[in-house]
Formats: sequence, structure tokens, C-alpha cells
Amino acid sequence: MQDVVLSPSDFVALLNQTLEFAYPVVTIEGELSGFRISKNRWVYFDLQDEQATVKFFGTVYALPGPLQDGLKVRVVGAPRFHPRFGFSVNIQSITPTGEGSIKKAFQLLRAKLEREGLFAPERKRPLPPVPGRVGLVTAANSAAYHDFIKILNERWGGVEILLADVYVQGDQAPAQITGAIEILNKSSILPEVIVITRGGGGADDLAAFNDERVVRAVAASRAPTLVAVGHEVDLSLAELAADVRASTPSSAAQILVPDRTAELASLDVSCQSLKRNLATVYDRAVMELVDSRDTLTVQMTSRLNTTAERLHTLSRLVALLDPGAALRRGYAIIRKGGKNIRSVRQVKIGDRLSLQLQDGTIGANTTEVING
Amino acid sequence: MAKKSTGGKSYAQLSAELGEVMDWFEGGEVDLDEALAKYQQATKLIEQMENYLKTAANKIKKINKV
Repeated sequence: MQDVVLSPSDFVALLNQTLEFAYPVVTIEGELSGFRISKNRWVYFDLQDEQATVKFFGTVYALPGPLQDGLKVRVVGAPRFHPRFGFSVNIQSITPTGEGSIKKAFQLLRAKLEREGLFAPERKRPLPPVPGRVGLVTAANSAAYHDFIKILNERWGGVEILLADVYVQGDQAPAQITGAIEILNKSSILPEVIVITRGGGGADDLAAFNDERVVRAVAASRAPTLVAVGHEVDLSLAELAADVRASTPSSAAQILVPDRTAELASLDVSCQSLKRNLATVYDRAVMELVDSRDTLTVQMTSRLNTTAERLHTLSRLVALLDPGAALRRGYAIIRKGGKNIRSVRQVKIGDRLSLQLQDGTIGANTTEVING
Repeated sequence: MAKKSTGGKSYAQLSAELGEVMDWFEGGEVDLDEALAKYQQATKLIEQMENYLKTAANKIKKINKV
């Protein structure tokens, strides 16, 4: 090789070919130093240990969240020799490692997203009481998936699950989870809920759920989100950004759908309540009929009594006007030529009169007429 | 699947319709003829919902690996 004379460009090309063949991708873990972001797009930093320093270059899209010097991170990338700037590793993914660094990166990202309001309670949306179409983002071969489906099947039926099978840990996990959320949000029929879940694990295992891209995708989802990561003690930023969080995949299924046994019991209660309500309406209608009948009876009785009293009064009046009653009391009806005499001026001396008494008639001649 | 026995309605729709009927009965003065019609409607809804709960199965559709 030493006999072959290369131009600098040829040498760079040859070196890059060799690197690409021998080390297409490397994973390097070390302490972050000289971290800087240029023009909101380009990321530069070194990874170092006691003996060596390696330069890295990439874009902000590969960042898991805010980083700072001193953090221990694991970087996956492709080694390259740039014709002008020399050697660097082109970043594919960055993951904080080690308890202290993970915690620090978590705190930095949490503070940043909190300032932006991503975790604000007023952003939270309720889940539909009975979803018919659900997006599920998880690893299809995981215990989390099986637990979730088992509980879902035990509790409810008729749900269409759109399963996005993704890595839930490792370098590819953030991009896959983010991509799945985006795909589900672009579905022709938007899922009523998107469930993102995985089982518990160590801080390294759960890193994807503290990745800024994932947290932002959860917060930006058009469909309400239900995130369940790990056990009760493991609270991830994706859960904080979700509309609803659950502690485990099983409890996510419990929150997502009602229990059919309880629902059947509730339907039975509704059925009994309906019967009672109908009986009440029927009883009320019958009571109204009885009331109407009683009212009518009272009104008719009153009307009959009033009429009877009037009739009695009239009959007494009629009895008083009966001429026979006067005759029985000793009065007489005087007639002249068949006409009743009401005044002495109708009679003159010599007139023939008839006097009707109660028991017969007397004929009489007028011998004297006295006025007044 | 289950939707066949629910006249193409989702469980949530059936549940909402049943809720409306239950509320109607709670709404004071109701007519007996109308109450009978509502009762029959509710009975049918409950039958459909029970049928759904006893027969509906979940369906899993895998979307493309992302």
C-alpha cells in the first residue's frame, strides 16, 4: 500500500470505504463534553474517558432530550472521516446511561417540557367510555401485550385493535414508537384512543418513554392517549404527557373498557327501573281516571241536589197558589155568569152570584153592595 | 359481528339511547301511550346490549411494522 500514492481526496474516500466496511455502526459510551447545538439544528460533542476523546456530529432530531456536559451517554453512530473537519462519528441515537445521568437527563427534559405546558392538567382529555377502535403501540411478543389483551378480552368485546408492533426499548424504540403514534394519527378513521404500553424494567429499559420525541408525539396526538409504562413506581415523561396514565398494561385495559359482568348487572338494574317507572306511569294514569270519576260523581250529585231543592221550593210555591187550599181554609170563590168576581164594582144589587166553597156551591142574590 | 345484532350501532350509541329513555321517564309528566312505546324501545335496546355483551369479540389488526 505504501507504494500507492493517493491524493487527500482519494485517501479520505478509501478511509471511509474501509470504515464503512469494517465498522458500519459503532456504539460508544462515555462522558459528554463540549456539547453544543448550532443553528438549532446541528449537534456537536465529544465523548471522553481518562485516555481518549472521540468527536461526534449529528442533528437535533437524534437527541433524546436536553443534554449537558458531564452526563454519561451511549451513542450509536457511523464513523466517518470528513474531508475538511476530520474524524467524527455521525450520530444515529443517543441514550443517557448510568443512574445519575439518566436521572439528570430526565430532570432536564421534564423541566423543559413542564415550562412548555406539555404536562398541564387542562390539556388532559377524557377517554371515551366504550371505545370501538383503539390504537395499541407495544411489542407484540411482550408480556405487556399479552397481559393487556388478556384483560381486555376478559372485560369486554367488540373492540377493533390496531396493533403497531414496535420496539419498546433500545436505540430504535423512540423512532418506532413516535412513528407508530404518527401513523395511527394519520389513519383514515382516527382511533378513539391510542394506548402505548410496556412492562416494567430498569431505567435503561424505560429510556424510550423519557425520550423527547416520544413525549412530544404523545402530547401532540389527535387521538386521546393512554400510557402505561412499568409498575407504579416507574413514572415516565410519556405518562405525564398522556391524557390518562395507568400503572401497568393490565390496569390500562381496565381503564380502557368497562367490565361486561358489571355492565350486564347494570342493564338488569335499568330493566327493573324501567318496569318500576312504567308501573308508576300506569298507576298515575289509573289514579287520574279514579279522580276524574270521583269529581264527576261529586259534581253530578251536587247538581242533582240543587235541582231537587229548586223543585221542592217550586212545589211549595205552587201549593201556596192552589185555590183549593184557600177554599179549605174557609175562603170562597165568587162567580157571576161563570166569571170570577174580584171587586164589588163588578156586582150590583139583584145580581145572581154563585159562591164556591170547599165542599160545594151556594147560589145567592145580591141585596146590598158596600164599597170599601 | 356484534354490530349485526345491534342494527349497525355501536354499544356506546345503544347505551346513549337507553340513557335518553331512562332520563325521559325521570322527566315528570309522561303520557301512558308514549311511556309504553318508550318502554318497548328500551326493552329492545337492553336486549341488543345484552346480546352484544355476550357475543362480541375483540379483533386485532396488525398495522405495518414501523
